Amino acid sequence: MVQFITHCTGRYSYVESARLALEGGCRWIQLRMKNSTPEEIYAAAKEVKSMCEKHHATFIIDDCVEIAKDIHPDGVHLGKLDMPIGKAREILGEKAIIGGTANTFEDVENLYRAGANYIGCGPFRYTTTKANLSPILGIEGYRQIISKMKENNIAIPVVAIGGITEHDIPNLMELGIDGIALSSSILNADNPVEEMKRIIKIAQSWKNL
Amino acid sequence: MKVTVNNREVETTASNLLLLSQQLNLPPAGIAVAVNNRIISRPQWENCPIAHGDSLIIIKAVCGG
Repeated sequence: MVQFITHCTGRYSYVESARLALEGGCRWIQLRMKNSTPEEIYAAAKEVKSMCEKHHATFIIDDCVEIAKDIHPDGVHLGKLDMPIGKAREILGEKAIIGGTANTFEDVENLYRAGANYIGCGPFRYTTTKANLSPILGIEGYRQIISKMKENNIAIPVVAIGGITEHDIPNLMELGIDGIALSSSILNADNPVEEMKRIIKIAQSWKNL
Repeated sequence: MKVTVNNREVETTASNLLLLSQQLNLPPAGIAVAVNNRIISRPQWENCPIAHGDSLIIIKAVCGG
């Protein structure tokens, strides 16, 4: 499965980036607006939520639990420096999807025990989208994390993130990664809608057995 | 037949995703379901056939199944 993470580029606003992803067939949007004011995030979240509803897409807001409490997205994504999972769960309740960012197996284990519903695991490689980056994982990093998860019987969907391109998808899926999160590779394409369609097709052609 | 749900084997007779969702007690909202890596939106569940060996990823708040 493919998650699109909004990004603001010279060409597109955050909301436009979400619209392009939805038009390209993506059905899982994370609204991420770093360095924006709460008012800007609130306004964009309302707009993206109604777009996602129209497309029956899952809508996740990055970090802003208080805004999520008002807007009622399907869930939130919490980075390593954001609010702890347990506290967000108290605020948003049992029905919210809560994802967490992991860079190591220990992170995955902690998030799983804290009640996260999926893991955004990365970064796969260096990316300019995110400023404060943890060490890159590469294929080998994911292999080790997935194998430790199996050893410890930790079953939670893992989405790979960070500079992933179409060529990486088969390698990641082969390891047992459940999904990929994309942002700049879509928006930097000449035609982001077509690029999203193409990526979704590639992810689908891989039957994860 | 057997399908995998979040990498765990599940025995089912459900012929489509809607029936499988009922078997798994999936909530009607706040959920993302992918069959063989394709996210299937809620209104399409009934038209999404389930076959032996299919791989499902379910992301939802209250985990069970």
